[in-house]
Amino acid sequence: MAAVTVDSLIQNPTLLFRSKSKVFAETVLAHWSVLGIGSFSSLGALALWLQDQASARRRLFPSNRIEKVEGKIFIRLDQSKNQQDWQLTVGCSLPGKWILHWGVSYIGDSGSEWDQPPKNMRPPGSIPIRDYAIDTPLNKPSKGDMFHEVKIDFNPSNEIAAIHFVLKDEETGAWYQHRGRDFKVPLVDYLEDDGNTVGAKRGFGVWSGALHQFSNVLLKAEASPADSPNNNNNESKDSKNKNRHLEGFYEELSIVKEVSVGNLVSVAVRKSLETSKLVLHLETDVPGNVVVHWGICRDDAKRWEIPAAPYPPETTLFKNKALRTLLQPKATGNRSGALFTLDEEVFGFLFVLKLDDNTWLKFEENDFYVPLSGASSVLGQHGQSESTSEEISSNSYTDGIINEIRNLVSGLSSEKTQKTQTKEAQESILQEIEQLAAEAYSIFRSSIATFPEEDVAETDTDTTKPTVKISSGTGSGFEILCQGFNWESHKSGRWYMELQEKASEISSLGFTVIWLPPPTESVSPEGYMPKDLYNLNSRYGTIDELKELVKSLHKVGLKVLGDVVLNHRCAHFKNQNGIWNIFGGRLNWDDRAVVADDPHFQGRGNKSSGDNFHAAPNIDHSQEFVRKDLKEWLGWLREEIGYDGWRLDFVRGFWGGYVKDYLDASEPYFAVGEYWDSLSYTYGEMDHNQDAHRQRIIDWINATNGTAGAFDVTTKGILHSALERCEYWRLSDQKGKPPGVVGWWPSRAVTFIENHDTGSTQGHWRFPGGKEMQGYAYILTHPGTPAVFYDHIFSHYRSEIAALISIRNRNQIHCRSMVKIVKAERDVYAAIIDEKVVMKIGPGYYEPPSDGPQRWSVALEGKDYKVWETS
Amino acid sequence: MEVSVMSSSQAKICKTELGCRDLRSCFGKTNDQNRTFSRKPNTVSFDSQISRLRKAGLRFTVKAADSEPILEAKSSTSSKSLDRSRLFVGLPLDVVSDGTTVNQARAIAAGLKALKLLGVEGVELPVWWGVVENEEMGKYNWSGYLAVAEMVQKAGLKLHVSLCFHASSEPKVPLPKWVMKIGESQSSIFFTDRSGQHYQGCLSLAVDDLAVLDGKTPILVYQDFCENFKSIFSRFIGSTITGITMGLGPDGELRYPSHHKPAKSGTITGVGEFQCYDTNMLNLLKQYAEAKGNPLWGLGGPHDAPTYDQPPNSNNFFNEHGGSWESTYGDFFLSWYSSELVSHGNRLLSLASSIFGDSKVDVYGKVPLMHSWYKTRAHPSELTAGFYNTASRDGYEAVAEIFARNSCKIILPGMDLSDEHQPHDSFSSPELLLAQIQTTCNKHKVEVAGQNLASGAPGGLEQIKKNMLGENPIDLFTYQRMGAHFFSPEHFPSFTKFIRTFTCRQLSKRN
Repeated sequence: MAAVTVDSLIQNPTLLFRSKSKVFAETVLAHWSVLGIGSFSSLGALALWLQDQASARRRLFPSNRIEKVEGKIFIRLDQSKNQQDWQLTVGCSLPGKWILHWGVSYIGDSGSEWDQPPKNMRPPGSIPIRDYAIDTPLNKPSKGDMFHEVKIDFNPSNEIAAIHFVLKDEETGAWYQHRGRDFKVPLVDYLEDDGNTVGAKRGFGVWSGALHQFSNVLLKAEASPADSPNNNNNESKDSKNKNRHLEGFYEELSIVKEVSVGNLVSVAVRKSLETSKLVLHLETDVPGNVVVHWGICRDDAKRWEIPAAPYPPETTLFKNKALRTLLQPKATGNRSGALFTLDEEVFGFLFVLKLDDNTWLKFEENDFYVPLSGASSVLGQHGQSESTSEEISSNSYTDGIINEIRNLVSGLSSEKTQKTQTKEAQESILQEIEQLAAEAYSIFRSSIATFPEEDVAETDTDTTKPTVKISSGTGSGFEILCQGFNWESHKSGRWYMELQEKASEISSLGFTVIWLPPPTESVSPEGYMPKDLYNLNSRYGTIDELKELVKSLHKVGLKVLGDVVLNHRCAHFKNQNGIWNIFGGRLNWDDRAVVADDPHFQGRGNKSSGDNFHAAPNIDHSQEFVRKDLKEWLGWLREEIGYDGWRLDFVRGFWGGYVKDYLDASEPYFAVGEYWDSLSYTYGEMDHNQDAHRQRIIDWINATNGTAGAFDVTTKGILHSALERCEYWRLSDQKGKPPGVVGWWPSRAVTFIENHDTGSTQGHWRFPGGKEMQGYAYILTHPGTPAVFYDHIFSHYRSEIAALISIRNRNQIHCRSMVKIVKAERDVYAAIIDEKVVMKIGPGYYEPPSDGPQRWSVALEGKDYKVWETS
Repeated sequence: MEVSVMSSSQAKICKTELGCRDLRSCFGKTNDQNRTFSRKPNTVSFDSQISRLRKAGLRFTVKAADSEPILEAKSSTSSKSLDRSRLFVGLPLDVVSDGTTVNQARAIAAGLKALKLLGVEGVELPVWWGVVENEEMGKYNWSGYLAVAEMVQKAGLKLHVSLCFHASSEPKVPLPKWVMKIGESQSSIFFTDRSGQHYQGCLSLAVDDLAVLDGKTPILVYQDFCENFKSIFSRFIGSTITGITMGLGPDGELRYPSHHKPAKSGTITGVGEFQCYDTNMLNLLKQYAEAKGNPLWGLGGPHDAPTYDQPPNSNNFFNEHGGSWESTYGDFFLSWYSSELVSHGNRLLSLASSIFGDSKVDVYGKVPLMHSWYKTRAHPSELTAGFYNTASRDGYEAVAEIFARNSCKIILPGMDLSDEHQPHDSFSSPELLLAQIQTTCNKHKVEVAGQNLASGAPGGLEQIKKNMLGENPIDLFTYQRMGAHFFSPEHFPSFTKFIRTFTCRQLSKRN
């Protein structure tokens, strides 16, 4: 929900300001409004709707939770008693603190800018907003009345050409507009009709800052013909207008406003003229003590940094990476807020809110982000371009349908001739069908996945806002993961140093995240049998070398994942029965930390919440002290080593809910779990339908509440069969989607074809030899977060892999990209991704359509695969 | 200016209460001037189009619904032929998944309006046992489905309810929790194959009359369910609800789950397996064998039947020549196996007709189109599914007979399948099988309604058309199924075209 809202703000960046003055930030502060990002100003203000975390988590059935209040906005223009003066009445029947934000334009004005109306037009209680507008509150005409209205008296003889206004509900910060722009009431002939005129028998549009994409506002209004004295002839009215005869009119439109779902956080930024610093004001109506957990960033990567002092009062440093500021209650109302002073060159302001009950309020699952830098805000621009493309595709779609229907109509047209009215009725039905279908399609499409916890908003935001979504499960959405080791990496004893030398090379290939081998002291040299978790001297190198490595990786822009083994731990000592289940080191647990259901280790904990790994004592995560210690450990790794996230080993061994707990505590940038179990086979042959397999992985991701992604073992398995046996039809599931986890929950699927276990020198489940590039052509063009195995990067495949990565980055394919499978046959599979890239694998023939809207040119070609991009 | 013209014309429509009930009566009443109404491309944003049309549409729909009776009279010339073929569209399988909430209600609402305007008669609503009676026996939650019924009624559409006593794998709707719990300790309530795998998509027909559900027989549980449904939906039944499909087995169809996994389209399907290995089925078989004087034949199913995905000739049972199916034993086994299925169908259909017989609704049951291997002599897919239909024997006589006896109608899915699109060498013939079943039904005066497979076969719409308007015209067709694909640019235009050809035919008939 929140994403949609911000989108709508972003997509309409210039909606609200038609001022001649370019300085509006003070205005913002003056009446605490909710504003779009001014694309013409370096100062922006951004408002964000929130739902509390608890309800966001239960996002399952949003329609149920939304309270809707229906009401009307009405606009009346009529003559007052003395026949000289006219009166414009704007009212609203919904409860709320309604403000009319209005101005006028004079005859001879060009453009759509507003001016202050003359003093005698301003109703009592009006507040001038700089030099271009007036804010006038709507009042109830009398106590008993259910509606609010404002009346503006004016004499048509002066030079005013039109009255412009928008209506704002101060309670919610929502703006109500007309056809996406201000309402315009022309008082003289207005030849330049640009579509937002009221009183000329037009359709009404309502736009509200909080509501967008017909998801929240139900539009029901049409100019009500029955109430309008002159509704049936535009022509006559137009001509009257030309003669400067005003005609009264009355129009109303119903609006539906949602209430009580969310809290509002508003952020306004202004530039202090004296100090040339940015002053950012954050205010919210979230009740109780609210702590802002904040930082700044200096570039697009949105990496948290601590700004220079001064800080607002009640600010503390948190783990050296963020500041915490307690919002101060406002004198009026139940709001609280704070003022932040920032340096001019700060790129963006990042924050999350922490509430009384320790819940975190985020923007979706991500940080709130307020771009501050540069005249052109990144957010704004991005939203713009996205919305355009959305619009085009929608148009082309609906045009398609209408043409279809039109064809059929015209095909029969010779049969009968009909009266004009019927024709129009028909046209309206056709258009309506088209629109309804488009609407239904957009909703169904956005919730196509079938597991119940699917985040409905997720695919929604896919098309509109791929950039700014950071969550531990997905990172930025554009991540490409490098698996930074193989099964032999421990042998040299200086892996950290060796990798350090390759850091810039790895980064330059286009990777954004690197997964390092398990760092702890381990009974096995590869690190997967950890013993003392705080001892980070391993066969890969010392703790100091590790820190150095992480530092250099960060320097080249790579995020670093630590491989953490939480399922099991090797003991230091035997118990009285001679069983190894007593731990030493800093976490000197005893056998209560070991699950009870593995007879080898005689644990005294509870039964395991997952499968058992039999080679070492499995840790009982249901024990409070164990979880507390592990959280501390992860926090320590984050701080001490600088890890940005986790690769979680053998997560089948314990409940995903505990993982969520650990991730919430350690706040990784990216996290991925290894949930590896067997696919289903019937009589030795892999089943086509691997839904049960991927469902198990999805279930685990769900248990983590989506805080972690998971390796898409299903996709790997299906690729094996498809490539090995030349059964490429396997790559489309019954619904025509990718058959792996990536088909169901792409943003949480970390696709891979090989790792240190399946390949390398272990070869537990090696990818079909010689067909690796087909595998990469698949995962590097498809949604999901692709992971590339170290051995493949530094092999003869390197240049091809690099080319695929660069195609992916160039076309901005991300973890939620849309994939459309166009062929899945015995010997060939082909898909179109985001309408930007076409790929095919398999020996069979496929060429992208040459008659479509796109022109495809070959971007890369290799053995049994080919990739095209739009030219 | 065109936008404003648009609006005013709509206003006039509203005022004059002109309106046509649906698109069908509109077709053929225009000329090319219509094109002048086309929107300026790319100048009006998507959102404003939506809002404009939505507004107009809402108003118009209301009026349209109001004016329906008048138009009914006006268009009486066409209504007769239109009424003969009624088209329904299935609602998403998971339109209600937790009992209470209507999923994607806004999309459903928009979809209903679009269908109404297109001239679709009604929608089909799958009502799941595992949703309504999920928590405990006798505790029903109908609220979500009631809300859907309301929406459908409001939209002026008819409703066909499918009572689903089976589970769905996609989307996942299991049997009721309490049933699954019983199944955990008592796996014999499920169909079982030779290798001991249970099919948890529905209860075994062998327990129909055994008190396996906390002291109650499944038949009684189904009966309570249906009666509760009838009383809760009484205000809709006969008016909005015009048809009820009684769930008869896997996927609602009268058959054994001879394939545990849904067949993939475009590939050759194996023959499937006999499902007679749960203890209760084996008991029945044993009794039957003893009664027939061949106790040794009652110890299990055929030993020489192939497995699920194998072709017929991979083992002896279905061999084209000299296969066991033609032996005395084969006849013994297949007679028993198929008669158990027919009796099961009869039990459920008579239950349904006794409950709903006095209401103004038609009761339907679904019979599958087991079309693979139809061109072999043994028809193995039909045999494993429980239809003793071979080159030399009409296995659908008995089936049609129970439908006739209970005054029920048959729904045949797969009317979108054509022989042409079957995989090479599959010996499959959906068209021939369909024709056979229809002939048998005609003989028994059982009405046949059609359905397509939801998966969307290639050339499906053409084939449906052919079937609906062909020699055995279909009175009711349920098109599967509303959802993202249905409204997608790839599909929806062809669907409107599909409806159009209907209209064409009707128009041409009139002239």
